[in-house]
Parts: sequence; C-alpha cells; structure tokens
Amino acid sequence: MSDPILALEGVHAHIGGHHILQGVSLEARPGRATVLLGRNGAGKTTTLRTIMGLVRASAGTIRLAGERIERRRTFEIARLGVGYVPEDQAVLSHLTVEENFRLAMPCESEESARRLDTVFRLFPALKTYWQAKAGVLSGGQKQMVAIGRAFVTDHRLLLIDEPSKGLAPVVVDHLIESLRHMRDETTVILVEQNFHMARHVGTDYFILDDGRVVHGGRMEDLVNDHTVKKRYLGIG
Amino acid sequence: MASRAVPLNPTARGAGRSRDRARLLAAGVRALVLLGFVLGPWIFPSFRAMDVLAKIMIFAVVVASYDLIIGYTGIVSFAHGMFFGLGAYCLALVIHHGGEPRGFHLAVALVLAVGLSSVLASAVAFFSLRVKAIFFAMVTLALAEFAHILGGQWTSLTLGEDGVSFRLPGVLGVGWNGGGVLGVGVDGRLITYYAVLGVSVAVFVGLLRFVESPVGRVIESIRENERRATALGYRTFHYQLLATVVGSAGASIAGVLFAGWVRYVNPESVLGIPVMLNILLMVIIGGLGTLYGGIVGAAFIVAAETWLPELQKAASTLLPGVEIAQRLAERWVLYFGILFMLVVFLFPKGIMGAVRQILARREPARTGGQ
Amino acid sequence: MNALDVAVGQPPGRPVSGRHLAVGAGAAALVLVPLIWIDPTTYLVLTVAGLAMGMLLFLTAVGLTLIFGLMDVLNLAHGAFFAWGGYVGFSVLQRLDALGWVETGSLGQSVGSTLLALAAAAGVGAVLGVVVERVVVRRVYGDHLKQILITVGLSLVMAEVIKIVWGPNDEMVLVPQALQGSYDLFDVVVNRFRVLAVVVGVAVFGGLHLLLRRTRLGLVVRAGVENREIVEVMGYDIGRIFTAVFAGGAALAAVGGAMWAVFREQIHPGMGDENLILALIVVIIGGMGSVTGSFVGAVVVGLAFNYVSFLVPKLALGVNILIMVIVLLLRPQGLMGQE
Repeated sequence: MSDPILALEGVHAHIGGHHILQGVSLEARPGRATVLLGRNGAGKTTTLRTIMGLVRASAGTIRLAGERIERRRTFEIARLGVGYVPEDQAVLSHLTVEENFRLAMPCESEESARRLDTVFRLFPALKTYWQAKAGVLSGGQKQMVAIGRAFVTDHRLLLIDEPSKGLAPVVVDHLIESLRHMRDETTVILVEQNFHMARHVGTDYFILDDGRVVHGGRMEDLVNDHTVKKRYLGIG
Repeated sequence: MASRAVPLNPTARGAGRSRDRARLLAAGVRALVLLGFVLGPWIFPSFRAMDVLAKIMIFAVVVASYDLIIGYTGIVSFAHGMFFGLGAYCLALVIHHGGEPRGFHLAVALVLAVGLSSVLASAVAFFSLRVKAIFFAMVTLALAEFAHILGGQWTSLTLGEDGVSFRLPGVLGVGWNGGGVLGVGVDGRLITYYAVLGVSVAVFVGLLRFVESPVGRVIESIRENERRATALGYRTFHYQLLATVVGSAGASIAGVLFAGWVRYVNPESVLGIPVMLNILLMVIIGGLGTLYGGIVGAAFIVAAETWLPELQKAASTLLPGVEIAQRLAERWVLYFGILFMLVVFLFPKGIMGAVRQILARREPARTGGQ
Repeated sequence: MNALDVAVGQPPGRPVSGRHLAVGAGAAALVLVPLIWIDPTTYLVLTVAGLAMGMLLFLTAVGLTLIFGLMDVLNLAHGAFFAWGGYVGFSVLQRLDALGWVETGSLGQSVGSTLLALAAAAGVGAVLGVVVERVVVRRVYGDHLKQILITVGLSLVMAEVIKIVWGPNDEMVLVPQALQGSYDLFDVVVNRFRVLAVVVGVAVFGGLHLLLRRTRLGLVVRAGVENREIVEVMGYDIGRIFTAVFAGGAALAAVGGAMWAVFREQIHPGMGDENLILALIVVIIGGMGSVTGSFVGAVVVGLAFNYVSFLVPKLALGVNILIMVIVLLLRPQGLMGQE
C-alpha cells in the first residue's frame, strides 16, 4: 500500500475551553476518498479545521506527505496543496462567480484552464451565472462554486465539509456524480452525515465519536457491517 | 465607606478562616481609606492637599460609575465625560441663571443632572446599543464632541468658552467662616469638602449595592456570556440599558460635586476629550469590574497630575541645558499612555483586579468548586 | 436536462433598489435645497469649499472604513496618522522653504515642494502604519474592548510624541506659492488649494476603485472583507494583507493631514482627535466597511457643513451630528453599508 498523503496521530484540539479532539489518529491515502462519519459534535468538522490550521492542535502530529504541518499557518498549509471547502456553501457572495474562481487560481496555467473546463462540464450552470454575484445563486449552485473553486487549483488533498447539507436529494445526486469525477484526480477527505453520499463517494472511512476515531476501514466493508452502522451512525 | 466585603467569588461556599481574615483585612483597609478622607484636612492642613483629596473622591465616583458601564457590561462609552460635564453645567447654570445662590438650587441641580443624564443615556443606548459594541463607542464619541461644541457655542446658556464661575449658597460659600477647630479653619471650603465626601460615599455605596443586587449579578453574567444570559431568558438589552443609565447618572452627580468644589466650569475643563481620556486612564489603571479600583485609579492620576509638573520643574533645574530631557520630562501624559497600554496588554483587570487575582490564588482550595 | 437546473434560483437581475433611490433623492435635496436661500455665486463657492473639505475627510475616513471592514478593528488611533502627516508635511515645507522653493521659487519648485510634502507624509504614515499594526493592533484582533482601549492609548501616545518632536504649540504652515490665490471662473472665486483637494480626493477615490475592482490585491481585500477564512484557505497570507491595508489607510490619513495643514495654514498636536471624530461621523453616515459610502458620507458632511455655516453659522458644527442621528434613525447600517 502507498504511503499516506495525510496522517494524523493523537491530535488534540480545544475550542473555547472545550476539549473537542481527544487524540484523533487517521490516515488518507493518495487517490482515495476518505469519509469522516459520526454524530453531530463528534469532532469531524474540527478535524478538518485542525488539518487546515484554522484550529490549533494542542497535541499530536499532522503530517502531509511526511512533512509536519500542525504548527504551520493556514495559508502555508493551503500553499502546500491542501484545498478546503467549508460547510454551509461558503461562497463570497458579494463577488461574482468568476471572481470567486479567479481568487482561487493564483496563476492562470494550462492545468487550471483544463480543470476549469472540467468544472464547467460537471456544473454547466456556473457558466450561465459566470458574471452573477455568487450571493444570488441557489444553495446547490453555491455549493458548486465552493467545490469547483477548490478543485480548479491543483491540490494534493481536498477537504470537503458536508457538501450535501441543506441540499435537495436530486442536487445531492448530481454532487455525488461530480465528486466521483474529482476523486479520480485528487485525494479527497470528506465529512458527511448523508450516508448515501458517503458510500457513493467514499472509498475509505473513519468514524469519530467524542473526539476520537472509534472505527475505520474500507467503505465496502462498512456498507455491510450493520452492527457498526447501527451503533455509531444510528442507521441499520 | 462600605464595610461589607465583596466576595472574591460569589459562588464560593464554606469560607475558611483565612478567608475571614482576608475579609477583615479588606474591611480594615476600607475603613482606613475612609478615615484618611475624613481626617484629611487635619492630617495635611493645606488647601493643595484638600483639593487633591476632594478630586480623588469625585473622580473615584466618576470612575466607579464608568466601571459599571465598561467593566460590568463590556460596553465602551465615550460619553461618560459628557455626563460628568452635564452634571457640572447643571449646577453652574442653575446658580448662574437663578439669581442669588440658594440652598434649593443644589437640589434642583442634582435632580436636573440625574434626570437629564438618565434621559440622554437611554436615548443614546436606544440608538446604538442594539447594533454593536463598536458602534456604541463611535456614536458616543461623536456625541461627546457635540456636547463639547455645544458648551462652547451656545453662549446664551453656557457663556461659551469663557465658562461660568459662581458662588455656592450659605455655609458652602467661600465667605462663610465658623472659626477654627484644632488649628484648621472651619470655613465654606471645609464644609464643602465634607459635603463632597458625604455625597461621594453615598453614591459609591449606592453603586456597590447596585452591583451586588440581583440585577447587578445579571448584568455581570451578561458580560461573561451574553448568549447564555439570553438563553436563560434575561433581556440583555434592558439590563445593559439600566447599567448605562445608572452609570451615567452617577457620573452626572460627580459632575455636580466637581463644579461645586471648583466653583467654575468651562467646556474644556468638564466636557473636553482630555477629561474623558483621564477617566479612561483611571478606570484601566485602577481595574475593570472592581469599583474599588476607581479609588486607586483616581488617586494615582489626580496625584500624578498635581505633583508631576513640580517634579518636572525640579528635573529642569537639575538638567538645565538638556532640552530633550526637559521635553521628555514635560510629557508625563506620554508615560500614562504607555502605562495604560501595558496595563491593557498585561493586566487586563487592572491593579485591583491583579491584587484580587493574587489573593484568590493564595487560597485556591478554599474557594470551592464552581 | 441537468439535475441542477431544478435547483436554479432566481436569475440574477438588478432590481431597482429603494436604497439607491433614497440616497439619490437625499443627495439631490442636500445639493439643491440650499439654492433657495443662497445666491448662485456664493452657492458655487460654498459647494467647491464643501467638496474640498469632503475630500480631505474622505482621505482619513477611507482608511478607517477599510480597516474596519477587513479586520473588524475600530482604529481610534487613525487620527494620529492624520496629525503625523500634518507635522511631516509642515517640516518638509519648512526645509524646502530654506532652499527658496516654497513661498518664492518657480512654479515647478512650488509644485514640487507640495508633492514632496505629500509624499513624505504618505511615506511616514505608511511606515508608522506597518509598525503600529505589527506591534500593537495585531495583538488585539478579535477583541473589541481591547482594541478600543489600546487604540485610544496609542493615539494618546502618538500625540504626545508629536509634542516631544515638534513642541506642544500651534505651528504656522507655509503655503507653496502655486497653491496661494484663486482662479476666477465667471465671477466665481475658486481657491486654488480647494481645486487641488478635490483633484486629489477624486483621484484617490478613483484609484482605490480601480485597485479594488481591477487588481488581485483588490480582489483579495474585497473577499477578505466578506470572509477572512476563505481567503486564508486559498493560500493568501491575510496577515500581510492586513498590514498592507493598515499601512495604506495610515498613509492616506497622513496625506489628508498634510493637505489639511496647508489648507488651514496651521497645525496643532490635537488635530488628529478632531479629524478622527469627523471621520467617524463620515464612516457612520456612509456605512462601515464601504469605500463608496465614505466618499458619499464625506461629501455630505463637507457640503452640509459649508452650506449651514453660511446660513446658520451657530449650527455648523452640530449639523454633522444631526445628519448622523438622522441616518442612524432611518438606516442604522449607514447609506451604503451592508445589513
């Protein structure tokens, strides 16, 4: 098996005096899509934010392709090739769709042009609304901007936080399609509550509970493991 | 002054013996401070010293009332100097426009000061408190400047930049003389001193009671965690409004005292930005959220303002040729400013807060769990 | 058909917003109503004077509003940069006058000395801005109470340092010859300096507009005003952008101070505080965080001040507060502010 592109070991994190992550250890391997599952408040989002340097890890190590990044600042981590799509369709709503993308592409390379084409192919609606303010888009379209924007840069690793949240099932299905495409080009770590999306996008999974990883493995095993699903995810 | 101790930690149970001792000590210190103010004119029989003591008392009230707003609610108002000035002008103008000074003028001035400042404070709070803390700071700063301008421009009422000098009625008048006691002349000055002392102590104790009342506790809890207080069903706006009004009224009473003591007001001396900056320096150096810090802060700044210029004169005679040394010595406000910033950075709770923290740390086991 | 089209919201349009109508009507009223009482010639003189004053206010207010919008910092030390700019401009003019450039000299020398004074003010303002942001303001991001207190302390300290360097008294400022006197346009006397002020103000506004709309830095700043975190996770060093914006704002305030110094022909250490309060009023009127808003607010304040000081001199200083209160009542977020 190949070396992990990202490895967390015993990561602790505190927010406002609360001990959120209590020793998270997990790995993501290149070319795969790792899904973080778990109940609300289990620490999934905080895990992504800690990887991104938005929350300081109070203990433990985070390695990106072997290099320790837990003390790095957010923009440095981003420049090392980690993309991040925050939850809640985080677009810059006063900027146009085009400006949202331009911001994400520091230089106009052939590669980013090709990726932009891919984005347009996956999300044709973005082309229609290219000059519109991102704030007027629907929730699904905003999510496309947020994901597409992270995808156009050639990231080694893409962290995506609950892309399905608040979206209609038909939109979620479309996003699943698109994320499966992106998975083939970039390593993805996905936080997801929607098991339907998780099983169709993810290849590996970790389950978090109370700030710790309690389970992990291959997605196809989880799909059939009803005990684990029932115990940690409340689905049968 | 109040002999009741402020508990270090309101939720603490089971006070141990050392805790009792600390309370006793605190009460003793308070009694000593009060005694100092009472006997001040006899201990330091000079007008200069009496002037310093009176100003410390007055500004202790201003700072305590400001602390109620800034320290207990976390809202920064720059209009506190304005309320102080409002009170000062109330007394000066009631007497000036009221003909021969009479006793009831004082009462009218006090009522007017408290009434006007309460109405004005509510209006300001309604405008800006709902929006944002930063907004409150900006709006109050602009309003304070407006008041300063008004004081200078509305000449028919305020006599403009020239200011108002006036006399106090009866035994408070400078001319009154009641002989001497133990070598100190009992004159209008001395009587005014004790009147100022009496009112200052009354207002200060009133503020303490307010802070320790159930309402005061709610206000404190709003500062600690506004969302939680809201969730508990407290209408935070109402409580913050109340704190703002009470604090502003306190400042206006102190303004009446100040005008009564100095017998002269002008826009610069009671409404200018420097007045507000002084109040800020006092409250920060004394410490936020303690009320008693006000006495420390006021004493520090008033004493420094009185005696630093002399120190500086001494410095210039010692180093006559060095111009830059003189300029540096002249600018003692600079050092206040630096001290102020350091206190904000290093001791966000001020001198009294730091003392309390140290006291609290010395008996950690006894304060019980929260 | 693509599944996403189902979720397509309203196509983007530009609804005629009531806000723009109201602002337009208010502006028209402000500009035209005084004509009822003022004869046209005087009116034009007052209008130019009002615009010039507005532009000088804009130079301070714009930094304040950008710093607030981007970093969520109310910088009460901003007036101190203005005062420093005034003193630096004053010193430069005095040095150059010793060379015979300022009050005598050729047109080129006098224009050159003006530009040098403004450039020096901008340079000192920018350097001070970098130092202040790195050493002081950076430590208090996210804590409004501390920010307010620290920047008040800072303004006190910076004003005191002015007194140490230049002395505590008022100083007379030399006015470059090219700026003395006035143009005579159809019987309307237009002070030369006021023309320069309007030119500089409009140029700064236009330049900022281009910078914000047409450059990557501007794009990053606009994005940062809305959401700092998204900008950071895209790999931009927001800390450096903060420093740059803070320094830029400080430089503009310093230029404003230098121009004010020449305009008033006099400076004093407290000039920063006075200007800060006017700039705050401008920012509140225009809407916090909006560059266009502070431009509009500055023009409103400048014009209103001049018209009213002609019509009802006593009211002149209070009229700004009055406008501020009215705006707060009708639109608490300011004319151009976002909800």
